[in-house]
Amino acid sequence: MPEPVVIQCREVNFLYPNGVQAIHNISLSIYRGDYIAFVGQNGSGKTTLVKHFNGLLKPSSGSVTVFGEETRDKKVSYLSRKVGYVFQNPDDMLFSSSVADEIAYGPRMLKVDPEQVSAKVESILQELDLKNLRDTHPFALSLGDRQRLAVACALSLDPEVFVFDEPTTGQDFFGSQSIMGLIDELHQKGKTVVIITHDMPIVAEHAQRVIVMNKGEIALEGSPQEVFSQVEKLQSLSLKAPQVTLLARALGESSRTILHIPEMVDWLQTRLPVTIKSGEELPHV
Amino acid sequence: MFSVSLKSRNSPLQKLDGRTKLIFLAVIFILVLLFTDLLYITALLALVLAAWFIAKLPTQPLKEMMQFFLWIAVIILIVQVFFYPGTTNLVHISKPVPAIGFSGYLTLEGILFGLAMVLRLVVIMIVAPLMVMTTPLPELMLALVKLKIPYKFAFIMTTALSLLPSIQNRSAIIQQAQLCRGISYDSGGKFITKLKASVSLLIPLILGAFRDSQTLEVAMNSRAFGAPIKRTFLLESRFTPVDILVIAGAFMLLTIGVMLRIRGFGVY
Amino acid sequence: MADQEQPKTELESSTPLEQPGSTVTQVRTYKAKGRIVGMSIAVLAIWAALYIVASAIPALPVPGMAGMITLNAIMTAISGMILGPAAAIANAAGGIVSMILFPYGFSAGPLGFLTVTMGGLVAGLFMANKWVLAAIAEILIIGSWFVNPQSWQTGMWMVPLPYSAIALLVIVIKPVRDWVRNAIITQNKKTMWLAVFMMCIIGHAAEFLTTNTMVNWMFNLSWQYWVPTLPYWIMVDTVVILASTIVGVGVLVGLKKARLPLFPTILEK
Repeated sequence: MPEPVVIQCREVNFLYPNGVQAIHNISLSIYRGDYIAFVGQNGSGKTTLVKHFNGLLKPSSGSVTVFGEETRDKKVSYLSRKVGYVFQNPDDMLFSSSVADEIAYGPRMLKVDPEQVSAKVESILQELDLKNLRDTHPFALSLGDRQRLAVACALSLDPEVFVFDEPTTGQDFFGSQSIMGLIDELHQKGKTVVIITHDMPIVAEHAQRVIVMNKGEIALEGSPQEVFSQVEKLQSLSLKAPQVTLLARALGESSRTILHIPEMVDWLQTRLPVTIKSGEELPHV
Repeated sequence: MFSVSLKSRNSPLQKLDGRTKLIFLAVIFILVLLFTDLLYITALLALVLAAWFIAKLPTQPLKEMMQFFLWIAVIILIVQVFFYPGTTNLVHISKPVPAIGFSGYLTLEGILFGLAMVLRLVVIMIVAPLMVMTTPLPELMLALVKLKIPYKFAFIMTTALSLLPSIQNRSAIIQQAQLCRGISYDSGGKFITKLKASVSLLIPLILGAFRDSQTLEVAMNSRAFGAPIKRTFLLESRFTPVDILVIAGAFMLLTIGVMLRIRGFGVY
Repeated sequence: MADQEQPKTELESSTPLEQPGSTVTQVRTYKAKGRIVGMSIAVLAIWAALYIVASAIPALPVPGMAGMITLNAIMTAISGMILGPAAAIANAAGGIVSMILFPYGFSAGPLGFLTVTMGGLVAGLFMANKWVLAAIAEILIIGSWFVNPQSWQTGMWMVPLPYSAIALLVIVIKPVRDWVRNAIITQNKKTMWLAVFMMCIIGHAAEFLTTNTMVNWMFNLSWQYWVPTLPYWIMVDTVVILASTIVGVGVLVGLKKARLPLFPTILEK
């Protein structure tokens, strides 16, 4: 049985006040449990489209519905309880004097019962491994912890859908792995995840569905295998498939799209005359 | 949000050196504060408006300014008309109210003085945009430096201006991020709500900007900012004969104005 | 190296310094002067830009009355304790650029930037423990207000009193002065709020009274305007000072925790 639609866009157009049309006639459906990555050049309309999901932007024409409700006449504070948005720079939302206060802020603003707020804060601190930092000032945290805190702030409103705007930008390898691990956990718990990113390996490793945007329109859509197999089309959109995919093609693989290093290793194993085990010295050729 | 400066094109005023225009602004400002006589202030207003039209500037900013300052002008006029200690009674309003200094009459001097103060406000409001809209910002900064304003101060101003778009952008993003947490920036609403909104905007804005300042500082130091060497400028400004004429005219005007004022002219 | 004469031009500085046959290479260095009273130029430029952006955001209503207070009023009130005396320069730069971009934003005309300069100067000098200079500046502001003959009219003496007098007392009374500065430098959790409140009074009072003085001199507004509207101005001042206190504490603590530039941190060292 197909999952229910959580976000539906029907012929959405959006014009900025300066007259620039950022979104052209987009129709798409996001289903419960989806793990979608929006990719595209700067200015392709990814962030503009995604900001319609929680009401930060309202369509100039067409409609966006979230859990069946039109966003046009709903406040952002209302929609934020359904669609949580985690901005790229965590510092753009932090201003409280402790981690716990920061997490509690959103529910308090929405007049949630104080006891419920306390319980929620404790649960989130536990869930996101921030318990030891509960009384720490947000600006004394490392970037990775501040990012976790930003996720915690979004989580405090109990949304079903999470949007992450470029979660790995500015992060080193371990930072990226950490935040993507957190996002994967949220997805495993049943949340619907939408990420905007330029990081193709991240998309290849994590996303289940990829939407490529170009000049305000959807240029490609499908699973990572389907999208990244269209290397030439991606190039025409100024995008590149993950390096491991390109390497496999260069080495002659044409029957499938290799997305991950483990896949690459498996494929190489079938091509090389010897089997290489971990730690073993390579034979001379 | 901000619309910057240079609006006039190919006008005689634009061709003047930035220093000339600053001197002109200063002279007008001093003169308009020296005089309280309506006639004198009207003459200054005429001069400034003539300069505005010679500069081929649009009239829309003038209308916007008038609308913006209408309420201040009305307050100034009412206070002077009702309470200026004039002697020529024109209109009888009521019995005198000594407690508030009201004579019971609208006086000629009160009306004239009130109008003079309103026109003084208009002159003050027009003269700065007149200069700003006829002078590209780099020229304005160069003029300040040539007038011995320390280079570092001019640098702070130009850097602030160049940082504006990124800070405005960040301000917009912060507001969006806080909207997602239930904070409202709409007009109207309770005072406490607005206070929380202000706090939620200012603190991340200031802290984030200070973080950026560290990168900026490194960039400046790596490009020898502050080296004790005589600096050269990409732009140069030189006085033309027209500049010298205008400056001489401005100083002559100032001298005449001061002399008239000393002799008791131009005031009630 | 410090004793070396600086070259007159950059070309001269590239002239080889070693003598023929010498193995000594002399290197000239200099200390880059990118700071003003301990604060870097970059920070001051950022502050000026923040001030300009804040001046276009009408944020706080005056409770029970018409009108809105823009966020730059808060920036001015807290500038002195965050930047020290250099706040005067940052505020002046922000004020002048604001005037350039929004020429009719200042009721005091082209000299309107002086109001925010004084706000930053008095509070900044106080924070730097130059209390005598701060007191002189505050007395000059109050004095220039009283020089106007209008100021001797009925009830006008009430106008500078609400916060300027408090500011002057905080500056000159040593125990209070030391307590306020110490609470801010050490960020004592118990006393910091009240100390920041006092600092905001100092910063805002200087700005308000300078504005008042300039407007009075320029437009000759008499006591019949000021005395009846005094409750409005006291309400505006109170709102600004309260809001500035909340923001000021948040910014001070945040800057210190994040190890970002902060004048009291320099004093602590």
